[in-house]
Amino acid sequence: MKIERDMRGAELGPNQYEDAEGYIAPLPSGHGPRSNPLGAFPTGPEVGDRLPDVVAVNSEGSTVDLHIDRAGKPVVLVFTRSAVW
Amino acid sequence: MVDFEAVGAKLYVLSYDEVDAVADYKKAHGATFTMLSDPDSEVIRSFGILNTTIAEDDHPWHGIPYPGVYVTDEEGIITQKFFENNFTVRPGPEQLVAAVQGEDVVLANRPTMDQEVGVEIEFEGNDLPVGITRQIVARFSVPEGMHLYQEPVPEGLVAASIELDGEAEGVVAYTLIAPETQPLTLGTDGYTLEVWEGNVVLRLPIAQNGRAMTKDDDGRWVSISGKVRWQACDYETCLVPDEKTFSFRVPAAFTVMADMGPGEGRVPSMNGATHFKKMMDRRKTGS
Repeated sequence: MKIERDMRGAELGPNQYEDAEGYIAPLPSGHGPRSNPLGAFPTGPEVGDRLPDVVAVNSEGSTVDLHIDRAGKPVVLVFTRSAVW
Repeated sequence: MVDFEAVGAKLYVLSYDEVDAVADYKKAHGATFTMLSDPDSEVIRSFGILNTTIAEDDHPWHGIPYPGVYVTDEEGIITQKFFENNFTVRPGPEQLVAAVQGEDVVLANRPTMDQEVGVEIEFEGNDLPVGITRQIVARFSVPEGMHLYQEPVPEGLVAASIELDGEAEGVVAYTLIAPETQPLTLGTDGYTLEVWEGNVVLRLPIAQNGRAMTKDDDGRWVSISGKVRWQACDYETCLVPDEKTFSFRVPAAFTVMADMGPGEGRVPSMNGATHFKKMMDRRKTGS
């Protein structure tokens, strides 16, 4: 599925760009950090599916297997852009 | 700080940052949740949510997911998920905690006056940073035998709704969240309307885009105003349409996002610029 970038926006002034919903940032819509998909886009496994396995390294450098680590608790799993930028 | 542990849930935040970057973030923000590092975007790909609008040679952004949140039950089955087109818009922690706890909003019994609908309106949360969605919540207590209408209604009836003032520039309202309705067929013409009875909770998700803020010596503020409208009927007659206005002035706070340098009111630096440079170097093509 080819996903289109949402390029809708306007230049407001020096380093001021507005996107289609009125959010303002120093970068124009469609620039890497503001790559919103236009229309439908993949959102991964569906409600009712088992959450797929997640094996990744935590901030202490240890490998975490989410389904083991959660120890029978419900989970909120956030996929975020970056902690750096 | 909304406490996920208090509701028996574990919070994980996964990004394509490297371990030392998430470690610095965790330390700088005193984060208590588990941060997971997926620098090669393996987990992101396995979920099928790699942001493919960004070309591989478009470093250093390539590798990020379409941001979103999954909520599971104790069995690890996904019960809800939240993905928005606009990456700056995301559920607030109150909404996630509510999702962990399921859809049943337990309401305290509220006194109702005879034949009068009780309405309480609240802004859920303590602040409204740019891009975080929070909710205007209207809790109706509808007297027994009466009901409220959901849109659409024929002329002459007023459906229950939460509306922001037209002049509330900078505050973005999303689709009203409402409980399931029951069908009610009127008269002999068979016209069916959708109604709510009993305790009814309507929720209007809102966010602000940065234009709504005012600044004074105490910080940055957002004002949100509007009205809740409704009309209560029984099977024969209707009360006159009613409305209640609301106005909230809440701190705009600062969004905890990019942390590239110091700035007024910002969180402690986590050496973002250093991590960013490292990321740029590592992702340079052909080097």
